[in-house]
Formats: sequence, structure tokens, C-alpha cells
Amino acid sequence: MPQADEQPASRREDLRVNFFRPRAGFMRKEVTIIWITLIAWATMTFGMPIHLALTHTDPAATLAEVPYIFGIPAYFWFSGQFLILWFIFLCFFFNVLIDWLTTSSRKRR
Amino acid sequence: MEMVKYTPFFLLCIILIVSLVVGMLTRRQDSGGYGIQVRSIGHASIGAAIASNWMSAASFLGIAGVFFLNGYFAFAYILGWTGGYVLLLVLMGSQLRRFGKYTAPDFVEARYESPVARVFSAVITIVISVIYCVAQYKGLGLIFAWMFGIDYTQALVFGILITLVYLLIAGALRAARNQQVHYLILILSFVIPLMLIAKKLGYNWLVPQFSYGSALKDLPAQISNDYLFPWTFGSPYEWIALCFTLMVGTAGLPHVLSRFYTVPNNRDARWGVVWGLFFIGLLYWSAPAFGAFAQNWLVRSGTVLDPEAARAIADIIVIKVAEWVGLNEIFVSILAIGGVMAAISTITGLLVSGAGAISYDIYYRLVNPNANERHLLLVAKVSTLLLAGLVLVIAVNPPGLIAQITAVAFALAGNTLFPVFLLGIWWDRTNKYGAIAGMTVGTIVTFAPLLVGHLFPMLRAILPPTSSALIGAPLVILTMIFVSRFTPPPAEHVRRFLVDKVHSP
Repeated sequence: MPQADEQPASRREDLRVNFFRPRAGFMRKEVTIIWITLIAWATMTFGMPIHLALTHTDPAATLAEVPYIFGIPAYFWFSGQFLILWFIFLCFFFNVLIDWLTTSSRKRR
Repeated sequence: MEMVKYTPFFLLCIILIVSLVVGMLTRRQDSGGYGIQVRSIGHASIGAAIASNWMSAASFLGIAGVFFLNGYFAFAYILGWTGGYVLLLVLMGSQLRRFGKYTAPDFVEARYESPVARVFSAVITIVISVIYCVAQYKGLGLIFAWMFGIDYTQALVFGILITLVYLLIAGALRAARNQQVHYLILILSFVIPLMLIAKKLGYNWLVPQFSYGSALKDLPAQISNDYLFPWTFGSPYEWIALCFTLMVGTAGLPHVLSRFYTVPNNRDARWGVVWGLFFIGLLYWSAPAFGAFAQNWLVRSGTVLDPEAARAIADIIVIKVAEWVGLNEIFVSILAIGGVMAAISTITGLLVSGAGAISYDIYYRLVNPNANERHLLLVAKVSTLLLAGLVLVIAVNPPGLIAQITAVAFALAGNTLFPVFLLGIWWDRTNKYGAIAGMTVGTIVTFAPLLVGHLFPMLRAILPPTSSALIGAPLVILTMIFVSRFTPPPAEHVRRFLVDKVHSP
């Protein structure tokens, strides 16, 4: 890491790094991709348990009402099988977009 | 007293010797130092290395045990330990790699320019290693107790001796671990016996990851409902808090972060995570099946276990169920050896990194800055022995299941290192005062429920020891923001480095 603090005055103008107020250009686009991925991650991961907690409190009634996939309640399959696939997809999706962003930003530079 | 099981013991010796030989060959092929592979390898290969590095006794033995006891609640562990990789990838992976510091203390000192913060993070890293090791040693002790028919404490001492001897020989031979071969051994030793168990019980053996649902449905209604209903063994708050804690803990765990530096470039590291998650997923899709088949066998055989007995065997249920259904001794042994290999590889890695933190970050940086390399090596060796001794003392009376003990290490990482990394990368204004205050609050939040929870039951309910980061991590982040706001900003060159290097393509 550089040690010298002596920089021209013009370069001191904007050293802001803030996830909620990203700089224009690469960082803003990167943060947008991160937000999309994080929202998709959080909604699916915590959406199902929150929905279950709000709507299902009685075991017998729950297991009689919910749809079944592969012989088990859908939420059970969703948590035990699907969400891992979803995480893999999110990482794939994120990498594709970041690859695109990195390539286009480097070209522009 | 039970009989000694010779088959797993001889197989274990063979596997350990083979892994040392493969390690020596791996070392000769590598051109880089420090046991880090620097040659260009495919993304799937990087993913296998990530998965191999990840698979510990908690994954191999612990998840099945929690599912055996708590059904759906175990998914909080599985999703926490996989979803955390998404957080790590999107929030920090690339940026940390661009930052160019390979350990938590190195990052903390470079970013916050504070020796105090560096030592603090080094101590946290050591504590995480110790807690993590306790869980691994519990698994090792239980398997050796089963293998040799000896008392758990004796088995624990034997396990510590085995790991230290293995570490010594691997060090003397300079044998690097071949991560891909290691992953292959672990996943095959896990999935093949599982398929055979499914076949023995009459379920679809080609995809036991799906057919265990039928095994659960075949249980008597009351037991089946308990396992399938989400909130039988824990409230929604407990489930979400545990899942979130393990996620932020994964993203803050030092030995997980270090995987981003052991590949040639940033893009390879990112794509390696996709494959890594798939390979880890193979294990986690399979693990609950062991617990489900065990419950199924208990009902079929009319065996009733009281809660204490069930808890006592939960952490080796993968081996027990293989024995119960009458699997060939070779396959039972393969399962046991997989568990031993997962534990030993994790322990040796943690002991080495813990000893490194003591010798360099504490001894060299604080006690004796004039120490030469030979002196530091001696300190590292003594530290390894001391850490192993400390782990032994704690592991004699393990405070919980393997997965639960491991979760406390994740809670500490999630409450301390995760916020320090996150704000260090994403807010230029975060300074050393904020980092030190944040790590202090995070440490208190992690250990208060353990130390004074019995005096304040409410505290334990709000901050469960395994799940404290749901409240802890945001609290630490707010503390860091508040303290940083009212203290001088970091030096300009640090902020410029963040803009020019860390957040540029």
C-alpha cells in the first residue's frame, strides 16, 4: 500500500467510498449488481421461514395444507434442496455480470 | 469394553500414508511457496479445493447429527454455511483480493493502521481457531472411541497425538495437501455408504438425497410431523438468527477468506466459488439423509433412545446408522475414515494458522521484534503444542454438539471480523477507533450469553450463543459507524488506495 500522503489538490476532491452512495461509474454499477444479488439472496433465504412463521403454527394443519414435492412438504424441499441450487445460480449470475462490467470498464479506460 | 475394530484402523493408516505421498508429489509440482498452489488450474479444480478446505467434522458428522435430533432445524446450518459464500463473493471476495493482504491481522493493520487493532484481530483469529478445533477434536475423539473401544478422553488424547505426529511428518516431508484428491476421498466416502444404506432400507438408492423424504414420511405420524414441521425444535427467531449468524460468520472466517488468494487471479477465484458451492452442496444435500435413515431404522427395529442417549450418539450417527442397517465393515470403516480425514485436515490447518498468529502477530510484533526466522519457528512449534493442549482441556467436556460448537466460532467471526472487513472495504470513513470499538462490542456480544447467560435467561433468549450475530453484527456495524464519525478519519493514502485499487476493475 502506498505510504505517501502528498497528493495534488485536484485528486483530493473525492475519496468517498460508501456502499449506500457509490461513486459514479464502475463502483455504482458494481453496487447495483450487488444489491440485485443480495435482494434475491435475502428474499429467498428468509422469505420462506418468515412466511411459514406468519401463516403456519399448527403442525398437523400445516402438513395437511401445504403442497408436496418428492413426497415431502414443499417448504422442506425448498430449504433442503432448492436453496443451495439457488445460491449456486446467484453466484453464477453475479459472476457473469461482474465479468461483463469488468470487461466493459477496462475497455472504456 | 468394546472390541478394537482393526479394519478402519488399517484403512486409516493406509489413507494417511497415501495422502502424505500424494502431498509430496503435489509439492514437487508446485512452483510457489507456503504450500499455496500458484499454477493455473481449472475452475472446477479450484472449487474442489474450496470444498475440501471447507469440509470439517462439522459438515461431515455434525449436520447429520443435528438433523437426527432436530429435523428441519438443521437446514439453518446447511443454508447458513452455503448462503455465506454468496455474501462473501458479492460483498468482499474481489475487493479483499485487490486489497492484497492475506490474513485478517494483515488486512486490519494495513486498512486501519493500528497495531492494537492488528493484535486484537490476531487474538480473535486464535480464539476462533481454538473453538473450531474443539469441535473437530470432539468428532475425532468420538470416532477413535468407537474404533478402538476406548474411553472418550483416552480417544481424545490419542486423536491429538495422531494429528501432531501427522503435522510433524507432513512438515518434515514438506508435503502439501492435494485438495482435489482430498475432496474426492471425502465425498466418495460420504455418498457411497449413504447409497448403500438407502438400498438396505429399501429406498431409492441412486438418489438418497431425495429418497430420505420417503423415509421420513414412513415414520409414525407423530414423529414424522415433528421432523417435517419447521418449528418443532426451535422458534422462527432461533432459526433465522442461526442461519444469519452462520452466513456472516462464513463471510468473516479467516481460513475461508484465504482461499481467495490461493488461485492465479480474481476471476478464477470468483468462478471457483460457484464450483465450490456445488461441491459443498453435494455433501449438504446428502447429510440430512443419514439422520432420516437413522430415525427410520430406529422405528423399524423398535429401538427407543432416550433424549440423552440420542444426543450422545448424534455426532457419529453417520457411522452408527451404517452399522445398524448391517453395512459391510469396509463401508462403515470408509465413513469413519472420511470423518477422521475431515477433522484432521481442518485441525492441522487451524493449528498452523493459530500458531502463526501467535508467533508472528503477537510474539514478533509485540514481544520480540528482533526475533529471527529460526526463533519464530520455535515459537510457532511451542504455540502449536500449547494450542493443542488448550483444545484438549476444553474438548474433554464438550459444551455441545459438533455443529453447535462450530457455530460459536462462526458467531465470533460474524460479530467481529465480518463488520471490520465489510466497513473496511465499503466505507472509507471507518477508522481504527471504530474497528477497535466494534471488535470489543462483538467479543462482548459473543461471549456474554455464554458467561452470564445463566444469570440473565433473557440475554440467552435474545442472543443464543450459536446465533448472536443477527443482533450482534448490526450492533457492531452501528458502533463502528458511530465511533468513526466522532473520531479523526483514516489517512488520505488509505482512502485513496480504496478508491484507486480496491474499487477499480
